[in-house]
Amino acid sequence: MNRDQLIEYISGKFGDKIEPLKTGPVEPVFLLKDNSFLPEFCRTIKSDLTLQMDYLCNLAAVDTGEKFEIVYNVASVEKNIRFDFKLTMPFEGAEVDSVQDIWPAANWYEREMWELYGINIKNHANLTRFLLPDDWNQGNPMRKNWDAPDFIRMPEL
Amino acid sequence: MSTQGLRTEEFTVNMGPHHPSTHGVCRFVLTMDGEVIIKAEPVIGYLHRALEKICENRTWPQCIPVMDRFEYCTGMSTNMVFALAVEKLAAVEIPERAQYLRVIMLELNRIASHLIWYGTTALDLGAITPFLYAFREREDILDLFEMTCGQRLTYNYIRIGGVAKDIPPEFVPKCKKFLAEFDQRVDDYEGLLTENPIFIARNKNVGVLSKEMAVAYAVSGPSLRASGVRHDLRRDDPYGIYDRFQFNIPVFHNGDCYDRYKVRMQEMRESAKIVRQALEQMPEGDITARISAAFKAKAGEVYSRIENSRGEMGVYIQADGKSKKPMRVRMRGGSYNQLQVMPEIVKGHKIADVVAIMASLDIIMPEVDR
Repeated sequence: MNRDQLIEYISGKFGDKIEPLKTGPVEPVFLLKDNSFLPEFCRTIKSDLTLQMDYLCNLAAVDTGEKFEIVYNVASVEKNIRFDFKLTMPFEGAEVDSVQDIWPAANWYEREMWELYGINIKNHANLTRFLLPDDWNQGNPMRKNWDAPDFIRMPEL
Repeated sequence: MSTQGLRTEEFTVNMGPHHPSTHGVCRFVLTMDGEVIIKAEPVIGYLHRALEKICENRTWPQCIPVMDRFEYCTGMSTNMVFALAVEKLAAVEIPERAQYLRVIMLELNRIASHLIWYGTTALDLGAITPFLYAFREREDILDLFEMTCGQRLTYNYIRIGGVAKDIPPEFVPKCKKFLAEFDQRVDDYEGLLTENPIFIARNKNVGVLSKEMAVAYAVSGPSLRASGVRHDLRRDDPYGIYDRFQFNIPVFHNGDCYDRYKVRMQEMRESAKIVRQALEQMPEGDITARISAAFKAKAGEVYSRIENSRGEMGVYIQADGKSKKPMRVRMRGGSYNQLQVMPEIVKGHKIADVVAIMASLDIIMPEVDR
């Protein structure tokens, strides 16, 4: 399935609940308009026999300076398909459903996202300290407004 | 004495953090029932260097040396995956010769990385000789890298748009000499371990990773192929010029430590095949598309992935189109998922098997902690 067929198939399947974005030059990127649709969307693309997205390559939170984006890079080992989809949310009360029960690999990605970005994960089995020291109390270091205490910003070239 | 009426209880053993088995700094908290593990919890973060945050404060070309530190056993792959992502975003054309040089370096690096794995695996299981053999050949490869880019570990060689330098004239004869001897060397390695009864006893049916679990936990690379999944990004999602080479993808079906060993041993031979073909086909010409230091990527996002020696190595980048710096760089290494699946597959094994399983999954910690 090539890029255009994939966009057409997924848009046809989910209708106006998702929106194809133009930001991905290689693999298609979709935006989920409603964040609460996430678990159902993930379950459907995994169980759909044409897609079979059984493999979660990567999960990244992005702080764009205005909002959070959460990007899921998924693939199908069986069908050799790959695409991305994402959610957006404001900084205040950022929260997302766990997809651990669909892709167990999400466990650590979500734990990392919770720790470094301060995005709460609903229904996560084990939200505990992960990469940072056990006694860490200095906030969420991957946010754009966070700088290390001794950090000197390089001037723009 | 009868054991009737005796009470048993679980106890906790702390394993690590200082080099439980020479793969970096990782700690396991093991809950034991006698000698049997009932629960294992990896504790990571000892090597966390905030590389993703560092990348956000650097220009695109400046990120390449940071990527070297992400997974220092295969610096070439880390350079490649980042360069590939930026090239996809900015639609940069790569000169032919640079494409071939990249493949040669990537495959030599894969061999070097598998040699480290071979040496340390044997070392973890108590055999010292294989380590010395493996590092002898690894030295030859590092010499080739050193004469090309001046570095032995953090190469900063594959750049956005091409490679940093052309190979010196003595590279090709030295590389050919290495390749001519290499198959015999792999036979030697196999002679030391493959039929070794102690090695078989320690590895056969130990740490069985089922096909379903491997895919669910996004395990990749040789560890996935040892569980019977024929998935190799060099063939399934070809990047660079990998679609031009003939090579086999070794697959085994038991998913135990011994099969993971066999996959990697065969992969070394296949990598040598690819390097031979690349040396034959390599044209003369330009080696870089010349990207300026003030290069700006177009607004957009890309997840690029390559087949590294430890599985799928990926980088997700996002650019806003205004700044010379990335908005977000997310690094994904194979070890991350391999370590995540470990608690599932060490259950019911003994402590010594944790070391064997960790070695066979080829986990290195800088890739996990970043």
